[in-house]
Amino acid sequence: MLVQVENLTKRFGDFTAVDGVSFGIERGEIVGMLGPNGAGKTTTIHMILGLITPSAGSIRIFGRSMATHRDEILARMNFTSPYVAFPFRMTVRENLDVFARLYGIRNPKRRIEQMLERFDVAGLRDKPIARLSSGENTRVGLAKAMLNEPELLLLDEPTAYLDPEIALQVKEILLEAQRERGMTILYTSHNMAEVEQLCRRIVFLNRGRVIACGSPIEVTHAILKEERDEPALEEVFVRVAREARA
Amino acid sequence: MKAHRITAVMVRHVYEARRNFDRITDMLYWPVLDIVMWGFFTTYLGRGIGMQPEVIKFLLGATILWGLFYSFQRDMAVGFLDELWSRNLINLFSTPLTISEYVTGLILVNLAKAGLGMSAAAILAWAAYHFNIFPWLPELIPYLLNLVLFAFALGIVITGLIFRYTTRIQALAWSFAGLLAPVSCVLYPLKSLPRFLRGVAWMLPTTHSFEGMRLALSGEGFSPFHFWWGLVLNAGYFAIAIAIFQLVFSSAKNRGLLVKLE
Repeated sequence: MLVQVENLTKRFGDFTAVDGVSFGIERGEIVGMLGPNGAGKTTTIHMILGLITPSAGSIRIFGRSMATHRDEILARMNFTSPYVAFPFRMTVRENLDVFARLYGIRNPKRRIEQMLERFDVAGLRDKPIARLSSGENTRVGLAKAMLNEPELLLLDEPTAYLDPEIALQVKEILLEAQRERGMTILYTSHNMAEVEQLCRRIVFLNRGRVIACGSPIEVTHAILKEERDEPALEEVFVRVAREARA
Repeated sequence: MKAHRITAVMVRHVYEARRNFDRITDMLYWPVLDIVMWGFFTTYLGRGIGMQPEVIKFLLGATILWGLFYSFQRDMAVGFLDELWSRNLINLFSTPLTISEYVTGLILVNLAKAGLGMSAAAILAWAAYHFNIFPWLPELIPYLLNLVLFAFALGIVITGLIFRYTTRIQALAWSFAGLLAPVSCVLYPLKSLPRFLRGVAWMLPTTHSFEGMRLALSGEGFSPFHFWWGLVLNAGYFAIAIAIFQLVFSSAKNRGLLVKLE
């Protein structure tokens, strides 16, 4: 297993945000982490990134414990979310330069240019981040996330602000990286059609717990409790969200 | 600690300084303005009311040294606030960057910025008011070191408090050093303070640096006593500051504050 999460728990005072979550991710897999707002997805991702200390449980990535090998693990992975920003006065190129240095990338100029071309933001290289649209910002975030050719990529709603054409282009780039380099991806999204297309396996969270885990069709069966010929993640999501609110 | 990650933090703040007028103002405008103001004032004291030239040296020297102390302490905290204001903390700390590398990068870049501001002020004092601090530098450097160490200890505690209490207390970045100024004996000797405040002043490394500076500028040479007292006090404050920062950073990660600070 490339990622092994066991009995992961996070309590904030009396509130339990993540409650005994366990799952694994094989090398080269694209796994979707789904769940309504407040299900514990983002807290789980933040614990995997070492930004929040778990109350209990363990995270092993590349066979090593996150608690003791943080720097070594983070050097081989990356993360992006459209909800996280960059220093807004600095240009796109300056921001990517800082991250290229943080990851110790050799020949950073070439790598930055490659990523700018790949995500179709080369024309924005000298623009300050403050002048970019949400979609352009998201693409810069993706370019940052691919800078160090990560073996594991955590994506928190990466296509949230993208128009359908660019979203499709991003999905193709991710699939290409997965096919060519065996990149492993943990993906959260509220776009169920996109998750069905991209992810071989789903971890479905609700109220901090894993309520189903498996292929999209297995998760559909497990939650709707009825036989279906096709995955119906949209329906699954709505059912869980309504039950969570009830 | 990896040098390339420390360099990355420095480069990030150099880029910010180039594009952020506030940072340029902090770095050059205030130190230069202070010298202009004190320069005119000391000219008046010297020519207008015939004050001893020694006192004028003390005032200008103190302005230059206090400028270094204040700007270094402020820039340590503001450097961190820049990450909060730009919502960049998650991006930074989801890389292999460690908190000690981040702080080291901040120290180095802010030392360079404070050094530039101090140099600009010193050159102006020399050019416009005939006060040349450079010949005294060998004697002043140990006191400057103590000022920088104390500014670092304060900066790191304020940064730690911002981690814990968020931008609600960001004003401390600019105001805390001001609180220490009256008891640091910047412009007057320790013996001129009321007796009950002398004990407090004695416990501040800044007081020993300014007392030492006055001895050096009056031609009495370097005072090992004030230097070592300042250094011993700094060692204590430094250890306390690091302990507070580690405690607060670990508590912030436990409470999930690192991702909520934005």
